[in-house]
Amino acid sequence: MKVQRIYLCENSIEGIFTAIYQAWSSRYGHANIKIQEKNDMGLYSNFELFSEYFMVETDLTLVTKVSRSIKEKISDEAYQMVYRVGISNYKGKADLIYRFLIFGFSVGPKILGHLSNEIVGQIYKINRYVSNEVHHMHGFIRFSEQENRILVSVIHPKNNILALIAPHFADRLPEERFIIIDGNRKIAVLHLPGKSWVLIGLPNYSEASYYQYSSKEEEYQDLWKAFFENIAIKERTNFNLQRNNLPLRFRKDMTEFQS
Amino acid sequence: MIFQEDMTIQRKLEILSDAAKYDVACTSSGVDRKGNGSGMGNSLACGICHTFSADGRCISLLKILFTNECIFDCKYCINRSSNDIVRASFTPQEVCELTMEFYRRNYIEGLFLSSGILVSPNHTMELLLQTLVLLREKHHFNGYIHCKAIPGADPVLIEMLGWYADRMSVNLELPTADSLRELAPHKKRKNILKPIRQIQLRRENEKEYLGLPNKQILLGKSDIIDSDMKEVISANTSLQLYQSTPKMKRRFVPAGQSTQMIIGATKESDYQIMSVAEALYKNFNLKRVFFSAFMNVNQDNRLPSTEEGPPLLREHRLYQADWLIRFYGFQTKELLSEEKPYFNVLLDPKCDWALRHLEMFPVEVNKADYYTLLKVPGIGTNSVRKIMMARKNASLDFADLKRMGVVLKRAVYFITCKGRMMYPMRLDEDTITRQLLSDKKQLPHGVDQSITYKQLTLFDDFNLNFNVN
Ligand code: SF4
Repeated sequence: MKVQRIYLCENSIEGIFTAIYQAWSSRYGHANIKIQEKNDMGLYSNFELFSEYFMVETDLTLVTKVSRSIKEKISDEAYQMVYRVGISNYKGKADLIYRFLIFGFSVGPKILGHLSNEIVGQIYKINRYVSNEVHHMHGFIRFSEQENRILVSVIHPKNNILALIAPHFADRLPEERFIIIDGNRKIAVLHLPGKSWVLIGLPNYSEASYYQYSSKEEEYQDLWKAFFENIAIKERTNFNLQRNNLPLRFRKDMTEFQS
Repeated sequence: MIFQEDMTIQRKLEILSDAAKYDVACTSSGVDRKGNGSGMGNSLACGICHTFSADGRCISLLKILFTNECIFDCKYCINRSSNDIVRASFTPQEVCELTMEFYRRNYIEGLFLSSGILVSPNHTMELLLQTLVLLREKHHFNGYIHCKAIPGADPVLIEMLGWYADRMSVNLELPTADSLRELAPHKKRKNILKPIRQIQLRRENEKEYLGLPNKQILLGKSDIIDSDMKEVISANTSLQLYQSTPKMKRRFVPAGQSTQMIIGATKESDYQIMSVAEALYKNFNLKRVFFSAFMNVNQDNRLPSTEEGPPLLREHRLYQADWLIRFYGFQTKELLSEEKPYFNVLLDPKCDWALRHLEMFPVEVNKADYYTLLKVPGIGTNSVRKIMMARKNASLDFADLKRMGVVLKRAVYFITCKGRMMYPMRLDEDTITRQLLSDKKQLPHGVDQSITYKQLTLFDDFNLNFNVN
C-alpha cells in the first residue's frame, strides 16, 4: 500500500486549483491523495500520521489551466459551482472539489444531473448555503454616510462573498462612492462612480476608523429606526419567526438593531 | 381640515407608517430591471427582504400612507373619518427624500405608497401621481414602487400612475358586496373592480411591455364568478385614454396587480374567500391576492372581537391554499365545497386533500408525472424538479429523496421507491392522520408548540383565537 500524500494549500480558489493540478499530474493515484486547505486562522486543521505532506505554492498559470479545463470539459455552470464552494467556509472543501472534478472530468457536463451522487449532492448543498448568504447580504447590508458622502458598510459574512455581492450594489448605486468591508477578512470592495468595482486588502482595518458620520446621517438612522418600530403589528409579535427569518448573527451590523 | 405644518418628518413617519402596517406587500414575483448606469436603483424579480420586524414579517419597502386623513368611514379602519386621531400628511418632496435616502443606505427595496382619501379620490390620486413623477423624473429613482390606486378616481389618473409604478393594487377589502356594503358604506364593489379591470386590460394591451411571464399555473377557467365581476368584465371599457403610449422607456405596471381582503371581520367561509381569490386570479390576471387577519383596531362592538389575537392560523391556511392554487395546479373546488366550507385547522390543505384521496396513493416516485408528484404531501416544486432531473441518471431511493429536500415524515405514506414503501404500514385515514398530527410542523412558525390537541380542537371555525408567543 502506498503512503497517503497530503497536499496543503492556501485557503483560496487559486490555492486549491494549484494543489489539484499538482496532485493530478503527480499520477500518484487519486485514492492515495488528499488535498487540504488552510483554515481561517491560516493553519491546517489536523495532521495525520503516516502521511507525506506537500506544501503547495500558489501558481497562477496552473490556476488558469484548471479553470479552463473545468469550463471546457465540464461546463461554465460547474465552474460557477466550484467557485462558490471554493469561497465557502466548508472544512474540507479542497478535497471535495478535487473529488467532484475527478468525477466531472470523466462524465462531462452531465455531472450536474447526478443529484443522488453524494459528492455532487454536497456541492449543491454548499452552493445553496453560499447563495443564501449572498442573497441575505443583498438585503441586510447597511450603509452609513460619512463626512465626504462616501457610503460605508461593514459586514461579517461566514463565506468569503464580497466579490459576489459587489456587482449587485455597483448596478444599483452607479453614482455613489461606496465601500463594503469584510471585517473578519480585512478586505473590501471599493466602488467609484463610472468605474468598475475593485477588491482591496485593508490589513490595518479597525472598526473605529470608519465612523465619521455626516451631519445628516444620525437623523436618517433615527428615521429608519422609527419606521422599523412602527411598522410591526403588536398583536402579531412573533420573535421566533423574526429570529428564523433574520438570524441574530447578522444583527450587529444592522442599523435598526444598534442602540 | 387640520394640516400639521409644524410636525417633524419623524413624527409624520411614525404616524403614517403605523397607519400603513396592515397593508400587505411583497416585492417578489416582481420585475427584473438592471440599473441604467445613472440615477439610483434596480429591481430583482426574486425580491429582497431587507429586515424583519418584531412580528416576523419581511420589511422590503418603505411602507407608508401619504396621508391618514380620510373622508370615508370604513368600520374596520383606524383612519375612518369618525375616529378622533392625530392626522398627518406628507408632501411629495418628503416622500421622495425618505425614499432616496433610505434606498441609498440599503434599508429598503423601494416604496409602497398607500393613502387615506384626502378631499376626494381624484385629489388624492393627483398627490400620489405627483410623488411618483418626482421620484422617477427628478430623482431618477429606478427602484421598485408599489402604489395604491384609489377607487373612484378618474381613469386617466389611474392610467398615468401605471406608467410610473411597478405594481399597483386596489384593495377588494372584503370578499363579497354584501360585507362591503355593511362595513364600508362609502365603497362599492364595482368601483373597486373597475380600476382592477382597467389596469388588467391596459397591461394585456401592451403585450410587448408585459412584465415577467406569469409563473403561476392556473388550471381551467373559473366557473365561480359573481354578478359584479361579470358585469365589470363584460362592460365596454374604452382604452382610448391615450392614443399613443406616453413617451417613456417604461412599461405599464410591469409587476402586475395585487389586492387584499380582510379575513374574519365578516361571515364568509374559507370556501367563499378562496373562490373569490381564484376568480380574481383567473379573470383579472392578478399576481397576488393577500389575506389580512382582521384586527378590531377600533374596539368596535359591531365587529368580531379580536382580544385574544387576530385569526392568524386561518390566514395561514388560506395562504397555503392560495399557494396550491397558484403553483400546484389545484382548484378551490378540489380543496373545499359547500358541504366542507372550512379548512382543517390541524392539517395543511395539501395533507388534508391527500387524506381524502387515498385511492390515488401511493405513487411511484421513479415514474409518476410532474403534477402527480406535486400533489404528494411533503414534496414541493423544488423537490419535484430535482426528482425529475435525478431520476434520468439513477433510480431513486428514500435516502436520495431526503437529500433533495423531500419531507419524508409527511411523504412516506404516499409514495413508493422502486415499488416499495419505506416501511410496512397501514394506509387508512385514521392511522395516517394520527401520524401526521404528531408532526408539529403542521402549525405555522411561532404558534406555541406546546399547544395540545385538545386546545386546538376547541377552536371555533369562525373565530380561531389563539395566542402566539
Ligand atoms: S377609505 Fe381607506 S383609509 Fe379611508 S376609512 Fe376606508 S379603508 Fe380607511
